[in-house]
Amino acid sequence: MSKLDVRGMACPLPVVQVKRALEAAQGEELHVLLDDGAPRENVKRFAQGRGYQVLEEKLEDGFAFTITGVGVATAPREAAPAAAAGPTVMLIGTDRMGDGAEELGRLLMKNFIITLLDLNDLPDRIFFVNSGVLLAAEGSEVIEALEELGNRGVEVLSCGICLDFYKKKEHLAAGGVTNMFTIAESMLKARSVVRL
Amino acid sequence: MIKDGDFIAIFNSIHRVMEAERLLKDQGLKILLIPAPRSLAADCGLAIRYAEDVRPQVEAVLSEAGLLPRDLYRKNGDNFEKLGEEI
Repeated sequence: MSKLDVRGMACPLPVVQVKRALEAAQGEELHVLLDDGAPRENVKRFAQGRGYQVLEEKLEDGFAFTITGVGVATAPREAAPAAAAGPTVMLIGTDRMGDGAEELGRLLMKNFIITLLDLNDLPDRIFFVNSGVLLAAEGSEVIEALEELGNRGVEVLSCGICLDFYKKKEHLAAGGVTNMFTIAESMLKARSVVRL
Repeated sequence: MIKDGDFIAIFNSIHRVMEAERLLKDQGLKILLIPAPRSLAADCGLAIRYAEDVRPQVEAVLSEAGLLPRDLYRKNGDNFEKLGEEI
């Protein structure tokens, strides 16, 4: 049985220490003394999230945890199962590709989007944010390409705030409008995020 | 992106193709700078696409500016028919 005292330690040290101790314990029971509040909550969440059982005991000065089980702490989980099956998301935050000459950057971005049409593996979703929304607005030269991507099942979505900022709210020419909640949620659930 | 009957003009330099695009747009001609189709594999990978209806004007502007393309093709079904020598 191993013992560990993480009282008085600031976050994220308690979790880091417990993680190391669990890795070293290799299935042995671990006793941990820790402060109430964030350390108690974080360590409990961490251990239970990795499949350990946590028995809590309130002390006069903080808490004592008895952590048992095999868990998966010894090796961090690869990718969460939900994420492994998630969508591929492309986040386009500019109307130019790369740094350097603006004119070239615009040309490359246009080229990139049109080239997507020649590929078999398309992203599930493309989000346009900041000046990227200009690519989906009237006057853009990739409207035709974005419409075609839409026909092939790619969700093309522009950030509403950004359209508003660039005064393009009434001039969206391809795809739909979305909000930050959807963008953030979609990125976090994605199998991979390609950012431009 | 390329419909049957569309013309694809391939240029041999990025600067020439960008200059050609600018000139044609200034004239209000309906053209689009696109990545050159892979099968036509141009050095700079860029081409200007235009349709039959603007062909005379496009080629006149390019000719006048000394910016004629290196090769010209017309989309014909699954193939690109080379027209290079016509202009």
